[in-house]
Amino acid sequence: MRPLDWAVLAASLAGIVLYGVWRSRGSRTTAQYLLAGKTMPWYAMALSIMATQASAITFISTTGQSYVDGMRFVQMYFGLPLAMILISAFAVPRFHGAGVFTAYEYLEKRFDGKTRALASAIFLLSRGLAVGVALSAPAVVLTVMLGWPSHWTTLVMGVLVAAYTVSGGIAAVTWTEFVQMLVMLAGLFAALLAVVFLLPADVRFTDALAVAGAAGKLNAVVWRFNPNDQYNIWSGVIGGMFLALSYFGCDQSQVQRYLTGRSVAQSRLGLLFNGVAKIPMQFFILFTGAMVFVFYVYTQPPLIFQPQAMRALERQPQYGQIRAEYERAFDLRRDAARRLDLDGFRAAQRQLDGVRARALAAAGEATGQGRTNDTNYVFLWFVIHQIPAGLVGLILAAIFAAAMSTISAEINSLATVSMVDIYRRFVRRDAGDRHYLAASRWLTVFWAAYAIVTALYAQNLGSLVEAVNRLGSLFYGTLLGVFVLAFFLPRVHGTAAFRAMVFGEAAVLAAWHFTGVAFLWLNVLGCLCVVLYGWAASLRSGRVETG
Amino acid sequence: MNPLDERPPFWGSWGRIYAAMVLYLVLLIALFDWFTRSWNR
Repeated sequence: MRPLDWAVLAASLAGIVLYGVWRSRGSRTTAQYLLAGKTMPWYAMALSIMATQASAITFISTTGQSYVDGMRFVQMYFGLPLAMILISAFAVPRFHGAGVFTAYEYLEKRFDGKTRALASAIFLLSRGLAVGVALSAPAVVLTVMLGWPSHWTTLVMGVLVAAYTVSGGIAAVTWTEFVQMLVMLAGLFAALLAVVFLLPADVRFTDALAVAGAAGKLNAVVWRFNPNDQYNIWSGVIGGMFLALSYFGCDQSQVQRYLTGRSVAQSRLGLLFNGVAKIPMQFFILFTGAMVFVFYVYTQPPLIFQPQAMRALERQPQYGQIRAEYERAFDLRRDAARRLDLDGFRAAQRQLDGVRARALAAAGEATGQGRTNDTNYVFLWFVIHQIPAGLVGLILAAIFAAAMSTISAEINSLATVSMVDIYRRFVRRDAGDRHYLAASRWLTVFWAAYAIVTALYAQNLGSLVEAVNRLGSLFYGTLLGVFVLAFFLPRVHGTAAFRAMVFGEAAVLAAWHFTGVAFLWLNVLGCLCVVLYGWAASLRSGRVETG
Repeated sequence: MNPLDERPPFWGSWGRIYAAMVLYLVLLIALFDWFTRSWNR
C-alpha cells in the first residue's frame, strides 16, 4: 500500500467512527441504547439494514465466487423483495404493536417463556458463529496486505470493533452504518470502473462480455432445477425467500434495525428500499468479479491467489511441470480470447481449470490443510496489485466499512438478546435501568470475545460467503417456522410450539448430515417441519390460546 | 388513525406498493435472463 492509500483508509475509518460516536451522544437509558428511543427515519434504517447484510464477505468472497463460479449467486437474492413484502405486511406491525425490544420477546407474549428461551438460544448460537465468520474476513485482508498472522489480525479487529460498539449502542451502529453504506457504494463503483478501464485498450467492452459469457461467468439466471445445486432460480426465489424471511423476520440483528423506526410506515419503507436496491447492488458486485476474470484473461494471474498456498506449491517437486502447463494453457486462452475464438477459448479454459485444480490439490497436500480454496483472495490480489494509488485505500475502506457494520450490528444484537431475553428474563428481573445498561455493555464485550474465538476457525470453511449462509440455514428455518405459528395459527399453544421447534431443528440437522441437499432448501425444510408439527399438535389438542 | 395502519407517503396504499415490488422483481428477472442469454453463447 502506498502512503495515499493509507491516508484514504485512515481518514475514512476515523471519519466513520467519529460520526457514529457524535450521532449517538446522549444514549443514557436501555431503550435509547438498544432501540435508539424509536427515533430512526426510514433512510437511516434502509442503509443500515443493507450495511448489516453487506459484510466484508460481500466484497471479498462474492467477487471471488463470481470469478470462479460466475454470477449465478445473484439468484439467491431473487426471493428478497417477496420476503420484504411479507415482513412489512405481517411482522412489522406485530412487533411494533407489541412494544418489544427483541423478536423473541414477542414469542413469550404469544406462547411462553421456554419457547422464547429456545428461540433466543438458537439465535445466540447461530449468530454467534456467523459473527465469527464475518470477523475473519477482514483478518484475511490484513493477512494478505501486511503479512500478519491471521489470528493476530482477528484479535486486533475484534477488539477495535468491540470498543466502538460498546460505546455507542444501536444509534451509533445505525448512523455509522448509514455512512459505511455510502463508503461501500463508492468503493464498489470505484472497483467496477477501475477493472473496466484496466482492460487492454484493444479489448472492447462487448468483447469482454463475450469472453466472460463464453467462460460461463455471466450466468445470472439458471432455469434448470436441481435440489443439490446451490444457485438456480428455483432455489433463489423459494429458498432465498425463506432465507430472507428468516433473516429479516426472525434474526434480531435485522429486526432490531426496524424496531428503531419512528413508526410502522418508516420501518416498512426501510425494509422495502432494501428489497429494491439489494439485487442490483449484488449484480454489480458479481459483475465486478466477472470483469476481474476477464482482466486476468489478458494479464497472467498467479497460479494460486492465496500467497501461503502458492509458496507451499513452489516447494513441491511437481511445481515446475504444473507451472509450464499453466503458462501454456494461459497463452492458448489469451490468444483465443484476442481472436474471439470462443470454442478455442472454452477448450483452453477447461485446460487451465484442470491445471489450477491440480495446483490447488498439491498446495493442499503441502500445507496439510486438504483442498486449498483461494476464492477469498482473488479480489484482494487484484486490488492490491492492479488498482491505482488512492483507489486501493478507498476500496479497502469499503471492505473495512462493510466488516465493521456487520460485526458491530451482530455484536449489538447478540448483547441485546442476551440482556433482554436471558439476563433480564431469567437471571435478574427486578434491577434498575442503569444496571441493565451496564449489563448490555458487558455482554457486548463477552460476545466480541466469542466472535474472536469462532473467527479463528472460520477460514477453513471454504468460500466465506457460503459458510455464513450455511450456518444460518441450519437454524433459520426453525425460527421462521415458530414465527409463522405465532402469526397465523392462533390455536397453537406454547408447549406445542416449543416441541415443533425441537422437531424442526432435528429434521434440519438430519437432512444436513445425511443428505446432500443444497443449504438454501434447509430453510424451507425447517420452516415446514415446525409449521406442520405445530398445526398437527393444535388439531390434536384442540386448545385455543390468544396472543 | 391507528399508527399501525399508517398509510404510505406515496401511491395511497401499501397493497399498491407491494404489487409494484412484485412487478419490479419480474422485470428484473426478465432483464437478467435476457443478459444471460445474450452473452452465454
